[in-house]
Amino acid sequence: MDLLPTSEQKLWMYEHMLISRYFEGAMETIYMEGKTPVFNMAEGPIPGEMHLSNGQEPSAVGVCAHLKPTDIVTATHRPHHQAIAKGVDLKKMAAEIFGKKTGLSGGRGGHMHIFDADVNFACSGIIAQGMGPAVGAALSRKMQGIDGVAVAFLGEGAVNQGAFHESLNLASVWKLPVLFVVEDNDWGISVSKEKSTAVEHNAIRAQAYNMPGRFIANNDPIALFDVAGEAIAAARRGEGPTLIELETTRLAGHFMGDAEGYRPEGELDRLRAKDPIIVMKNLLISENILTEESAAAVSDKAQGLVDEAIAFARESDYPEPAEALEKVFV
Amino acid sequence: MYLMENERKLTIARAMAEATAQEMRLDEKVFVMGEDIGQLGGVYGNTRGLIEEFGEERVRDTPISETAFIGAAVGAAQDGMRPVVELMFVDFYGVCMDAIYNLMAKNIYFSGGNFKVPMVLMSSVGGGYSDGGQHSQCLYGTFAHLPGMKVVCPSNAYDAKGLMTQAIREDNPVVYLYHKGLQGMGWLGTEAGANVHTPEDAYTIPFGQANVVREGTDVTIVGLGMGVHDALKAADKLAEAGTSAEVIDLRTLVPLDRDTVFNSVKKTGRLIVVDEDYQSFGVSGEIITTVVERDHSVLRSTPARVAYPDIPIPFSRPMERFCLPNPDKIVTAFNQMKDN
Amino acid sequence: MNITVPTNLWDEDTDAVITSWLVSDGAQVNEGDLIAEIMVEKIQHEIRSPSTGSIKISQPAEAVVSKGSVIGEIS
Repeated sequence: MDLLPTSEQKLWMYEHMLISRYFEGAMETIYMEGKTPVFNMAEGPIPGEMHLSNGQEPSAVGVCAHLKPTDIVTATHRPHHQAIAKGVDLKKMAAEIFGKKTGLSGGRGGHMHIFDADVNFACSGIIAQGMGPAVGAALSRKMQGIDGVAVAFLGEGAVNQGAFHESLNLASVWKLPVLFVVEDNDWGISVSKEKSTAVEHNAIRAQAYNMPGRFIANNDPIALFDVAGEAIAAARRGEGPTLIELETTRLAGHFMGDAEGYRPEGELDRLRAKDPIIVMKNLLISENILTEESAAAVSDKAQGLVDEAIAFARESDYPEPAEALEKVFV
Repeated sequence: MYLMENERKLTIARAMAEATAQEMRLDEKVFVMGEDIGQLGGVYGNTRGLIEEFGEERVRDTPISETAFIGAAVGAAQDGMRPVVELMFVDFYGVCMDAIYNLMAKNIYFSGGNFKVPMVLMSSVGGGYSDGGQHSQCLYGTFAHLPGMKVVCPSNAYDAKGLMTQAIREDNPVVYLYHKGLQGMGWLGTEAGANVHTPEDAYTIPFGQANVVREGTDVTIVGLGMGVHDALKAADKLAEAGTSAEVIDLRTLVPLDRDTVFNSVKKTGRLIVVDEDYQSFGVSGEIITTVVERDHSVLRSTPARVAYPDIPIPFSRPMERFCLPNPDKIVTAFNQMKDN
Repeated sequence: MNITVPTNLWDEDTDAVITSWLVSDGAQVNEGDLIAEIMVEKIQHEIRSPSTGSIKISQPAEAVVSKGSVIGEIS
């Protein structure tokens, strides 16, 4: 217990939270290009759906701080923060989201399908469907005797899918090195957790599958770092899976253009007052890891990385249309 | 008849919601379940206004648990209710297909007709707006291939309302596929041709009746959903070049109105099938077979199809546009036809 | 009587787009009938007829309009 991050790790976490937030900021702005005054999803440099991760950064950094490039992450329809923390190439990811030839998948995947083989990162836009592949990757490492932990990120809406329950059971029966990380942002599009889920905390569901279940309140990346570190170490020792649930916040809509009429009055203001980026910055300053000046430098660096990635994406060419027909099989 | 002027028009989204509301007023056994169909009114607007009128008891937002709520609809339907359930994207059928094709589609038969399964499974289909390969499919052929469910897909609001009313009144399970690009949602583009005169009073459109939406003599173009609008635009272009195209809107895939297709091709001698679903093993092959196996001699020219290539749907705009059917591809298909 | 985009349908000063006319040009409409849908960002709003009579549409579907824009006339 009390596996506290070093100052260096805390700084890494803060930096990656910032890169993620700035990346989403760029997405938010660029997504609207070509979509005003007429909001047509098909138009602009970034067409399609856009699910922003603002507010959910602690989950990504608290877990991925412990992962090596060889470890495996499967992500969701809201994958940018997880990808950034896992070390997915930012330029190629941006280019993929723009649908460019230089993107991770040459424009075939897009925002909901971020795949980077170099750091073992994969996605599914279908709820809970990253979980089976995470279990399988963990099985593969175990069977091959190769070090490696797999992490499946999911939203709290995913816990009511069959794949959630089946994957937990399978991982537990076979004692596989896998973590299931539930980002509980309280909303499945417009439906609240209270209306859709029979238990208050999903961590309790771990009991049904005979594995540790840990709940972390307040969107706290430090507490998550502690719990995830312990769980990952246990997984590496062959002690099997853990279910972790983080109480987090969705500071944006379900997707861009969501009017969020379902939110109770004042909820967003309350959530914004607890913005994890600000909380983390204040923590680092209070612990003398950062000063206002050095914080500004960290911020500039993060923004610079994002700007560079966006510029790369913008300048890249679109694929030739007929390239669509390639890569169906290898 | 639904092209009358001076009458109220609806979008397909409103037509679906209106038909559902009217049936809910008539029959308290009709109820609606699905994700975000309550206060949000459905992501594609087709349940808008229902929760305000009928309340949460009959308009039920579900957890993200398609296997459970579609399976539950089967059980409720067998027990005398008339559920209308929504699968938000047809692509999501992967997580709940057992409830659909092994339960919903087979329980009437397994029971020797002793059970009825009066339920409607509605689901959005179609791409063209860069939503990627898990949110853009049509899968018409997948559902039509599996016996035991009726499958419909409207191309305009008049048909949308009549088909929905018929679907709810059916004692058989109906898969009701609606194309996102025709919903009138604005943010997915708006196909003006889908917004047509729609009477306020309830009416039904019998299943298994295709609609000749444009008469012609030189070539028959068969489609459904968005394909009908592509075909109509192609017919306009062909007319400029002196070719008279007949356009058939299938409206229902199961049962399929083979007579209307055959009789049209018998008249025109040429056939082009437009299908936004994957080309192989699907609707386009079935339509061509319909003609060939009845009497291939009616064909003056080898039939053609303008369908989606057999690849997962790409995200990037130029690649997706390359793959989708469009009016120009239909015109090209006609121009490349070589008469026997 | 002019058909005007109401100024109280949405808060911000953003422009809107007419996504669909739900009547044909020249149709007879009654006061309060739903006649068009407009969209602000991704949200649709309803436009209802301000009076009874024959409608003349002056702004077609897909036209960009603002609060207070005249989009047609009832006579």
